[in-house]
Amino acid sequence: MTNKYYEFFCPVKVIAGKAALEHIPYELAGLAAKRPMIITDKGVRAAGLLDPVVAACEESGLEIVSIYDDVPPDSSTSVVRDIAGVYRSEKCDSIIAIGGGSAIDTGKAVNILVSEGGDDIAKYSGAGILKHPLKPFFVVPTTAGTGSEVTAVAVITDEAKGVKLPFTSSFLLPNAAVIDPRMTLTLPPHITAATAMDALTHATEAFTCMAKNPLSDAYATAAVKKVSNALLAVMDNPKDSDGRLELAQASTMAGIAFSNSMVGLVHSLGHATGAVCHLPHGLCMSLYLPYVLEFNLESIREPLGELLLYLEGPEVYATTPASRRAEASISAIRKLRDQLYKRCQLPRTLKETGKVEESQLDHIAEVALDDGSIMFNPREVSLEDARAILRRAWA
Amino acid sequence: MLAKRIQPMVFQARRMYVELMFQVMGRALQAVSEVDNTVKEESRVLPEGFLFEMMVMPDGPSMVVEHTGLGRFRYHGNSAPRPVDLSIQFKHIAHAFLVLSFQEKTSVAFANDRMLVDGDISYAVRMTRVLNRLESFILPKLIAERAVKEYPQNLHLPEKLVSAARIYLKVATNFVETVRA
Repeated sequence: MTNKYYEFFCPVKVIAGKAALEHIPYELAGLAAKRPMIITDKGVRAAGLLDPVVAACEESGLEIVSIYDDVPPDSSTSVVRDIAGVYRSEKCDSIIAIGGGSAIDTGKAVNILVSEGGDDIAKYSGAGILKHPLKPFFVVPTTAGTGSEVTAVAVITDEAKGVKLPFTSSFLLPNAAVIDPRMTLTLPPHITAATAMDALTHATEAFTCMAKNPLSDAYATAAVKKVSNALLAVMDNPKDSDGRLELAQASTMAGIAFSNSMVGLVHSLGHATGAVCHLPHGLCMSLYLPYVLEFNLESIREPLGELLLYLEGPEVYATTPASRRAEASISAIRKLRDQLYKRCQLPRTLKETGKVEESQLDHIAEVALDDGSIMFNPREVSLEDARAILRRAWA
Repeated sequence: MLAKRIQPMVFQARRMYVELMFQVMGRALQAVSEVDNTVKEESRVLPEGFLFEMMVMPDGPSMVVEHTGLGRFRYHGNSAPRPVDLSIQFKHIAHAFLVLSFQEKTSVAFANDRMLVDGDISYAVRMTRVLNRLESFILPKLIAERAVKEYPQNLHLPEKLVSAARIYLKVATNFVETVRA
């Protein structure tokens, strides 16, 4: 008997497809919620993405009691405290977070405060602090990449101390994730590309890193297939709502996969690059993915080779010798990046971003080495290894 | 029937083994921080007075070391003088036994959700590297390869033997001093 063991948990109800937003009133009613608050950002409101949600609720006689639309890109403890204050004064009883990673994380943090009490969110920072279910919480993602709608984590900045506070608890998971293609139809091409590559990276790392397991594998491979099939079609025809739905579902599936099997060195380098050079997360993922797969190659040859089926389809898989499939998977990812560069100039190297100096590479390597996700990378990574990967990703 | 009778003894033996290994590890961490420059460099970043604990939940065997500055550790036995800064907690003594008997690598135990980290994750990553370095020194290569993710390629036999001898000598001395005290 092997020592193999795994855990898998995802209690989020996924409500996906055409007219999914119109299910929100019914689902909230099922949780006895009558006074929802929307948490979002100015960009989402300006893009008109609140309108279909509000209309769907009002049509069913459900009043949106309050809308907070000023969540910044990097949400903070004071923002969370302010929103919790509004929630209490308006006597809300549930939260609908609409947006990308920041709005969703803010929604999770506000839900802690309004459910547990108090004004100091820092008190709840860490793992396993929460012991009780929170208020009804729905998430409507407006990007197709982070997978935050199915992760049990939130990160909020404590501006006073200048640190990022992590919150981890299964109680942070929303009751429902509402995936409606209308919410991603207007995403600009470079964000569509970067967020889809984020989802592809989540799925690829979930499938190749140390905590992979049969259930997360199933979600990961399905997500890779959806991104591979739909991404370029959506880039060519942004109003393709079927393709948009495929990407949004891929993001959720990749989120379920990586939240149960973790990620590896691509994320360590990406988090470090984000912290040092303020590059968007999805772009970092797209940048580093092939270089890290090459570094890990001999440790992940089998699962990476298997991914070829989902990246390139059964014909290419069948005609590629088993011993060459892992390399062919990396080539497929490189090919996809080239296509994205052609369509929206999504950078493929650090130099192409124009926002990273070569002199910053050593610092990025040092920061990456302390990132938690490095623990789950299948290969041990030394400082010299990280530097070598960054040099390869430079140009 | 016999199996049922000897089960309490097996549990007791497993618990004693984990307690003993924690005592050896704690002392060996102190020793390796006096012997190896890589460990010193790795640990130097930790705040002075930083308390690191490994324990079995809910209140099983444990070991505590303190970073006293300049990359040096001091072993505190099984209790901390104040609240610890970083705690790596095995969910069950069976999981601690798997890792400490080298049936499961530390990194695999993390991946398998056998252990929890309470504290700054970046310090946990650092301490895991220190533990890996320690295990590479003090265990025969064949066993060390079962304990760490990757046995360091640049660790050659002469360096390993000399460092291991110095670490074991310091561990033994510390044991004797503890018994005398």
